[in-house]
Amino acid sequence: MNSMKKLLHYIKPYRWFAVLGPILMCIEVAMDLLQPTIMQKIIDEGIANQDNAYVIKLGLLLLLSAFIGLIGGAGSSVYAAKAAVDFSSDIRRDLYKKITCFSSQNTDSFGTGKLVTIVTNDIAAIQSSLIMTLRVFVRGPLLFIGSVIIVWTTARELFPVLLAAIPILILFIYYFSKKTGDLFSYVQKAMDMVNTKLQETLAGIRVIKAFDRQSYEKKEFHRINNLLTKRNLSAEQVILTLMPLLMFVVNIGIVAGIWLGAIKVNEGTLQVGVILAFINYLNIMMNGLMSSSHVLMQITRSFPSAGRIVQVLETEIDIVETDYPVSPKKVFGTIEFKNVYFSYSKNGEYVLKDLSFTVKEGETIGIIGPTGSGKSTLIKLIPRLYDPDSGEIFIDGINLKDYSIQGLRSGIGFVPQKATLFSGSIEENLRYGKDEATIVDMESAAQSASASEFIEELEARFSHFLTQGATNLSGGQKQRLSMARAFIREPGILILDDSTSAIDAISESKVQQALNRTFPTTTVFIISSKISSIIHADKILVMEDGKIVANGTHEELLSNSELYQDIYQTQQGRQVAANE
Amino acid sequence: MNKPSAPNIIGRARGPRGMHGPAEKAKDRKGTLLRIWDYMERQKGTLIASVLFVIISTLLGLIGPYLIGVIIDQYIIQKDITGTLRMLVLLAVIYTASAIFTWLQSFTMVRVSLHTIRHLRQDLYDKFQTLSLRFFDKHSHGDLMSRVTNDIESLNNSLSQSVSQILSTVLMASGVTIAMFSLNWILAITALFIIPLMIFTTKKIIKYSSNYFIKRQRDLGELNGFVEESISGFEVVTLFGKEKKMNLEFSEINERLRHSAMNADMVSGFVGPTNNFINNLGLGLLIGIGAVMTVEGMTTVGVIAAFVTYSRQFFRPINQLSSLFNMFQSAIAGAERVFEVMDETPDIVDHYNAVSIDSLKGDVEFSHVDFSYDNSRPILKNIDFQVKAGEKIALVGPTGSGKTTIINLLMRFYDVTTGEIKLDGQNITKYKVSDLRKKIGIVLQDTFLFSGTIMENIRYGLLEASDKEVIEAAKMASAHNFIKHLPQGYQTLITSGGSNLSQGQRQLLAIARAILADTDILILDEATSSIDTRTEMEIQLGLSHLMEGRTSFVIAHRLKTIENADQILVIHNGEIIEKGKHEELLKKKGFYCSMYESQFMLG
Repeated sequence: MNSMKKLLHYIKPYRWFAVLGPILMCIEVAMDLLQPTIMQKIIDEGIANQDNAYVIKLGLLLLLSAFIGLIGGAGSSVYAAKAAVDFSSDIRRDLYKKITCFSSQNTDSFGTGKLVTIVTNDIAAIQSSLIMTLRVFVRGPLLFIGSVIIVWTTARELFPVLLAAIPILILFIYYFSKKTGDLFSYVQKAMDMVNTKLQETLAGIRVIKAFDRQSYEKKEFHRINNLLTKRNLSAEQVILTLMPLLMFVVNIGIVAGIWLGAIKVNEGTLQVGVILAFINYLNIMMNGLMSSSHVLMQITRSFPSAGRIVQVLETEIDIVETDYPVSPKKVFGTIEFKNVYFSYSKNGEYVLKDLSFTVKEGETIGIIGPTGSGKSTLIKLIPRLYDPDSGEIFIDGINLKDYSIQGLRSGIGFVPQKATLFSGSIEENLRYGKDEATIVDMESAAQSASASEFIEELEARFSHFLTQGATNLSGGQKQRLSMARAFIREPGILILDDSTSAIDAISESKVQQALNRTFPTTTVFIISSKISSIIHADKILVMEDGKIVANGTHEELLSNSELYQDIYQTQQGRQVAANE
Repeated sequence: MNKPSAPNIIGRARGPRGMHGPAEKAKDRKGTLLRIWDYMERQKGTLIASVLFVIISTLLGLIGPYLIGVIIDQYIIQKDITGTLRMLVLLAVIYTASAIFTWLQSFTMVRVSLHTIRHLRQDLYDKFQTLSLRFFDKHSHGDLMSRVTNDIESLNNSLSQSVSQILSTVLMASGVTIAMFSLNWILAITALFIIPLMIFTTKKIIKYSSNYFIKRQRDLGELNGFVEESISGFEVVTLFGKEKKMNLEFSEINERLRHSAMNADMVSGFVGPTNNFINNLGLGLLIGIGAVMTVEGMTTVGVIAAFVTYSRQFFRPINQLSSLFNMFQSAIAGAERVFEVMDETPDIVDHYNAVSIDSLKGDVEFSHVDFSYDNSRPILKNIDFQVKAGEKIALVGPTGSGKTTIINLLMRFYDVTTGEIKLDGQNITKYKVSDLRKKIGIVLQDTFLFSGTIMENIRYGLLEASDKEVIEAAKMASAHNFIKHLPQGYQTLITSGGSNLSQGQRQLLAIARAILADTDILILDEATSSIDTRTEMEIQLGLSHLMEGRTSFVIAHRLKTIENADQILVIHNGEIIEKGKHEELLKKKGFYCSMYESQFMLG
C-alpha cells in the first residue's frame, strides 16, 4: 500500500487523464441511476394520464441519457487506459534505467531472475491494477453511494434495512479480501514450485535421462502438482464463498425491506411502488459492492508487485562517481593494489585479504591458485564491478574511485569466464567492444582470437545471426567471440578470466602469440588453472584462500613457492617425465 | 527457433504468443474439445452434480422475482399481513437455498476443473520425460514452459468459470424467454430483437481489437525477451559500458509497447459501455412500446415492470456470454498447443522385445557410424572402433569435432543415422533404454544441479543410498573438503542451476553423483575442466580406483590426464583421424603429436 503511494507521483504527468477517467465514469453511472427514475415517470405520469406526447418526450430523454452514458463510458475507458499505460510505461522506463545503473553488488542482491520478473510481470500487475482502479473501482462505489442516496431521499422509511445490511456487507468483504491475500500467496508458492521443477527438468533433461530418473521425476512432479491442486482448492473454497454470501445478505435485506414495507403499507404510510424501487436499488447496490470487492482483491494482489518495484527504484547504488571524475583519453595500465580487503556479504567473511601488488604498463600478469581462492574476485575489482571494503586501487596513479566509470571501463578489455553473447549478428556483438569498428578491425580481432576460421566457414560470415544465449554456437566458438569482442577495443588493460576453458591447446597458443604481437604495450591479466597458459607471464600471482601467497616469475616461483611447485608437479611432472 | 538456419526475424520475440502467430483460434476445435472431455469425464460424478446444481440455482434465481411480484400483488396490496409473513419466510428459505446451491455449483465446477488440469499437467510433464533430446533441441524452454503454465492455466480459468456460466446463462435465458412470452408476445419479440444487435457489435469490436491485441502481444514478447537477455548478460553490459545503448533500445521497444498497449486497452474498454448502451436502448424500446400498448389497452403497467426486471436478468448474462466465448476460444487454442506436445512421438523407444540388462561386461563397438542432427550436415563420419571390457578410452580433438556426440550416441540420447553400436556384442537398440542408461555413468560437460540440498543432489546418482554412502562418494570425488566447510555442510541448499557454487565445485558434485551411481561403464566428458589442477590430481586418484576393471571414456582438453589411456581416439571434423596409445601417437608425429606439443611448448 505504502509502496503504491510512492509510485503515485508517476501519475502526475497524466493526472488529467486519471481525473477524466473517473469523471466520465461518474457520467455513465449517473445516467444508469437516472434511467429507473425516467421509466418510473413514463409509467406513473405518461401512461396514467394517457399522455402520448409526454411518453415520447421522456422516451427521447431516455435515449439521450443512454447515449450520454455511452460517451461517458467509452471516454472513461480511453482515459483510464491512457493514464494506466503511460503510468506503467514510464515506471518501466525508469526501472530499466535504474537497473542499468546497478553495480554488480546491487544486481547480486536481487538476482537477475527476480529483476526480470520485476520489469515484466510486476509492471503488468500494477498496470492492470490501475486501469481497474480508474474504471471498475470507481464505478462500483459510485453505484453503491448513488443508490444509498436515492434510497435515503425516496424510500427513507426502508432506510433502517440498509443501515443494518451495509456494515455486514462491508465486514464480509473486508474479511474475505484479507483472507484471499494469504491463501493466494500459498497458491503462488506452490505454483513457483511447479515452475521451478519444470524449468529444472527442461534445463537438466540430459542429467535426468543419463541417470534414468524419469519415473522419479514424474513422482516428484506428481507430489508438487497435487500440492498445487490442494492449495488451489482450499483457496477457491474460501474465495467462492464470498459471492453467495453477499447475495444472501442482500436477499435477506430484500425480505426485511418487504416486511417493513408491508407493515408501513398496512398502516397506510407507504406506496407499494417504493418497495419496488427499494428492491431495484438494493440490487444495484450489491452489484456495485461486489464488483468493487472483486476488483479490490485484484488490486491487493498487485501491492507486493508495487513493493518490489519501489525496492528496485529505491536501491542505493553503491558504486558512484565523484563530483569531478577523471576521464582519461587513454588507460596505460600501471596498476597498484594497496592493502585491499573485499567481501561479498559484508559480514566480515573476506574473499580477498590484504592484497598489495604493483603492475607496470605492458606487463603480463598470470594469476593461479585453487578453485575459490579469489582469482576472479580480484580482477573484478579492476573495472570497478565491486568496490573494495578497505584499501585502495590505483590505475596510472589515480585512485579508481576518482575515474569516471565509463572512462575507466572503456580502457579495459574484459573476457569473462562465461562467454555471454547477445542475440544479433556476430558483427553487432563485436561492435559491442567498439561502436565504430570497421570490417578490418573485426577481421583482425577475430584473427587474434582465432575465431576467423569458424567465421569464414559460416555462410553469412560476420552477419551470421546468433540466437538468444548464442545456442547456435559451440562453447569454444562463444569464447573466441567473447575474446574478439575484448580485443577489438585495443584496451590498455586486458583481462582474461579463465576464458579459454573450451578452447583446444593449439588455438590457445595461437591466441597467446597473437596477443604478444598485437598488444605489446597492453597490461594483460590471465587467470588460469593451467600453468602452461601463464608460464611466460612477467609476474605470476599465486593465490590461496583470498591471499597472495607468492609472486614472481615462473622460475622464481619454482624455487621459492611450495604451492606453485605443487601445482607445477601435478601439471607438468608427468609430461616432462614422459618426454624424457 | 533455435535452428541456426532459420533466424528469428522478430529477433527477441520469444513470448508464447509470438511463437504461434496471430491466430488464437484452435485449428481443430472439435477434436480438441473431445480430448478435453476425455479428461473431464474422469470427474463424471462431480460434473453431473455440478450441472444439477447449476440447474437448481438458476431455477431458484428465477423464482425469487416471481415470488416478490406475487407477494406484492396478492398479499401486500390486499393488506394480508400474516399471509405476507408466511410468504416472506418462504422467500427467505428460497434465498438461503439459492445461496447454498450457488456455492455448491461453483465449488464443484472448480473442483472438476482443477482436477482436470492436474491430470493434464501431469500427463504433459510425463510426456516431456519420454521425449528424446531431439525434441528439446527443436523447442525453446520458454515455449515449453508456457504450455505447461500459461496454456493450462487459461484452460483452468475457462473450465472453472465459463463452462458453468455458459450453462447457467443458457438456462436463465430460456427461462426468461418462456416467462416473457407467456406475459406478452409482442414485448417478448421486442426484447429478443436486441440480441442480434448486441452480438453483432461485440463481434465487430472484437474483430477490430484483435489486431491491436496481436500487436501488443508481439511487442510484449519482444520486450520480455530483451529484458531477459540484457539483465542476465548484465555484467557484460556494464563492462563494455553499453548501459546507454541498452537504455535506448529498451526505450524504443517500451514506446512501441506503450502505443500498442494503449490501443488494445482502449478498444477493449469499449465493449462494456457499448453493451451497456445497447442494454439501455433495449429497455427504452420496451418501455416506449409498452407504454403505447398500455395506452391502447393492450397490456398493463405490471407487465411492463416485470419485463424491465426480466430483461435486466436477460441481457447481462448475454453480454458476458461473448467474453466467455472468447475466453473459451483462447483456452481451446491453448489446450491444442498442449495436445500438440502430447502427440509428439518419442523417437527413442524400447524395441518391442527389448532385453533388460543385469550387468554389462563393457565391450563397446562402433561400426561405421554416421550421424547428423538434421539429416543434412554430417556430424560424425564412419566412426569405427572397438573397446575391450575394462579399457580406458580417451577422446581428444578440437572443439566441435564431435567427441560429445559420440558419447550422446552411446547413451542413446540420439540414434545413429547409419551404422551400429554394439554393447557386449549386442546392438544397443536391442536393450531397454532405461537399463542401458542405468548401467552407464556420465559426468556431463555442463554440470547441472537441481535445487535442493547437496546431499540430495549427490544422492540423485543412487536414490536409495544412505547418508554415509553419499559422504563416501563425496570424499572420493574430493568434494567432501569444500562441503564440510560450508555453514550447512551437506544440507546446504543449492539454488536453481547451482549458481551459488563455483563451476569447479559443481563439477566435483557431479563427479560424486556419478561415483555414487556405481555403473559398469563410466564416461567423463570434460568433467574436470574447471577444477584446479591440485584438486584434479586428487580426483584422478579416486577416479583411477573407480575405473579399474570398468570400461571408461574420457574426453579431455588437458592431454596429460589421458596419457595412460589404453586407447586414444583423435577426432577431427567428425572423423577418427588417429588412434592408438600415447607413445604410438607421439611417434607418429601427426595431429595428436602437434596438439600435445603445443600444450607442452606453452609449458
